[in-house]
This record gives sequence, structure tokens and C-alpha cells, in this order.
Amino acid sequence: MGLSLSSLFSSLSSLIRWSKEQDVRILMLGLDSAGKTTILYRLQIGEVVSTIPTIGFNVETVQYKNIKFQVWDLGGQSSIRPYWRCYFPNTAAIIYVIDSADAARLKTSRSELLTMLSEEELAGVPLLVFCNKQDMEGALKPEQISEELGLAGGEKERQWSVRGSSALKGEGLEEGLDWLVNAIQKK
Amino acid sequence: MYHLLRGFYEYFTSKEEFSVIILGLDGAGKTTLLEKIKTLYNDTPGLAPDKIAPTVGQNMGKITLPSTILQFWDLGGQRGIRSIWHRYYDDCHAVVFVLDAQDRERLGEGWEVFDNVLSDPKILGVPLLLLANKQDSPHSLSVEEIRNDYEEWYRSKQDAARRRYGDEIDLEHRRDRMASLDVMGISALEGTGVRAAVDWLFIRVQNSRRRDEQGDK
Repeated sequence: MGLSLSSLFSSLSSLIRWSKEQDVRILMLGLDSAGKTTILYRLQIGEVVSTIPTIGFNVETVQYKNIKFQVWDLGGQSSIRPYWRCYFPNTAAIIYVIDSADAARLKTSRSELLTMLSEEELAGVPLLVFCNKQDMEGALKPEQISEELGLAGGEKERQWSVRGSSALKGEGLEEGLDWLVNAIQKK
Repeated sequence: MYHLLRGFYEYFTSKEEFSVIILGLDGAGKTTLLEKIKTLYNDTPGLAPDKIAPTVGQNMGKITLPSTILQFWDLGGQRGIRSIWHRYYDDCHAVVFVLDAQDRERLGEGWEVFDNVLSDPKILGVPLLLLANKQDSPHSLSVEEIRNDYEEWYRSKQDAARRRYGDEIDLEHRRDRMASLDVMGISALEGTGVRAAVDWLFIRVQNSRRRDEQGDK
């Protein structure tokens, strides 16, 4: 009797949870000029806006499916990267943006990413990597970048996905979000 | 008294968690299978097949069965990612190998990879399920044909080895391994056979060798 009541309760409460809109917090991080702000506004208003380097952060709410993403786009300059960690608590997912055409700084990008993933507050949080600027000539493919990042096998407790995107053309972004929504709901 | 009752309650409602890894070539349908399993067993549906792109990364899914939780790990199948599969072998309770039964051209490649998984010493005692996927297609090989094709492939490999080294491959281990291997046909796209596969896993993980090891501690 107790058992059936508790299972009834849990299925009822999950029903309520999913019928209601969810508000989740997403951090969007990456080196400077990777395209974070461009992705943010492409997602929010569906247009390419001209941006200037972000000092501090942009926060916008993006409505996607039944989920309201509160996306924090944090500046990527090396001087402000240490402040990223102030935003780590209560994060539902991380979007990490990489400039696929900037092979020279891929190592830097990798070490910033790995440092971040080792933070306890972000343990188990799903990670979506956008290999952005796929429209540019000489852009590295997601598979190549994934190999460079070396996440495979080291991040067993986390769902992660490395995908190509072009914020300029609007390609790959929605597919990435689809994956992210699915990954968040599983938790 | 409260603690006694509470203890009983927790004992009867506690669920053991088992890990299942899903392996196979790229494009075999691993992610489609995982999402279909989630759709069939969970309240919130998984991704629709048309939203699934080649996996560069790792997908996870959890389903709850009577007194058991199955945690699935779907790892990418591209050549570069295959080299990391073995890092998951130590903690898994069952292995599912998905094969595209429709893609005759890549069967040989599939067998090569499958044979590596099958003969890996780390998972010799772990239940292994071979799924002949894409049975919804009329061009797909049946379970029987898949079995035969694998045997044939193995025999020719053995012949080649004999010619090269002049001796037999260790057959005894292999016989044990083959005895614990099961092959089932599914359509991850339509869901045919998926429940049967999950039932198989549900039963087999309970008797998985690792469980005895845990019990001994």
C-alpha cells in the first residue's frame, strides 16, 4: 500500500514538473572571440548581431521547447576567465564554444575547459561543445577537435557532445540544444 | 520501532544499479537504441530518431526496473573513439554490441571490432548481447544469417592465422565465450525487439560475475 502510494505520488509530481515550464541556468563559456555572444543572440532573436568583446557578461533568457534557458555568456579574455567560477553553482549545463579556425589557441582552450570540468560544483553537469565557425575555411572538424580535447574516457560521469556549428549561418545550434534539453531532462 | 520499519522499507525498496555499455560501429544505431529504450521505459521520451547525429561524445540513460536500475552508456563508434571503450570495461555489468544488419559492406569491419570486444580479457565473464539492428529493412540479414556470417568470418580468420603462425588460436576460452553469447534481432527505429533485449539484460546483470565479487567484499 505504502509502495503504491509513493509511486503514485512520484508519477504525479513528475507530471506536474513537466507540464510546467522549467527555468534552467546554462553557462556559455569559451575563449574570447569564439562566438559566444553571437550564438546567444542567434538563439534568442534568430539574427546575427554585431558584437563587441564582452567585458563582464550578457544574460538572456532563451525559450526553447518547454524549457526557459537562462544563458550566461561570460567574457572570454584571459583576465576575466578566473571569474567564471563565481557562476558555477546551480548550473544545469555548460555550453563551451571553440573557434574551429583558431588552431593556434586550441591548446589554451582545452586547458581552460579541463580546468573548469575538474571543479567539483560542475561534476556530472552535461557539456555541449560547439566547434563554431565551421563556415570558415580551414576550420577543424568536430572529430578532430574532440580528439584534441581528449574528453573521451576521462569524463565517465558526464554526458558530453562535441558538435559543429556556425553562428553566422545559424547551423548546428538547434540540433545542439535538442541534445542539451534531452541530456538535462535525464538528470 | 521506527528504525526497524524504516530499515525494512529501505531494504524492500532499494534498487541495485548496473552499468551497461553500448558498443558498435558508427551508424549502427547505438544512440537510436538508447533513445528508444528511454522512450519505452521513462516518463519523458528520448530524442526522436531524426534528431540524432553521429555521436562525438557520450550519452547516458537510466531506466528503472523492478529492484534494478540499468544505467546505459552510449559511446561513439567512430574509429578514433573506439580506442577508449576499454576504459569502461572495468565497471560494466553487461555489454551490448549493435550491428547494422543491413550494411553488408561493413560486416567484415564490424566483426573485426566485435571480435576484439568478445576476446577482451577484462570482460570475458560479462554478459554480451549482439543485436542485429535495422530489422525493419527488408534487406537486413536475419539473426540466423548474422550468426552464420560471423562463424564464417571467424573460420577464415582462423585459417589465415594457422597459415601464418602454424598453430591454433586458443579455442577453449572462446568456446565458453561463445556459449554465453546471445544474438537478437531488433529495430531500434521502430522499437521491435527492444523490450526483449532489455529483459535479457535485466536477467543477465543479476547473475553477472561482478555481482559475486561485490558480494564477497
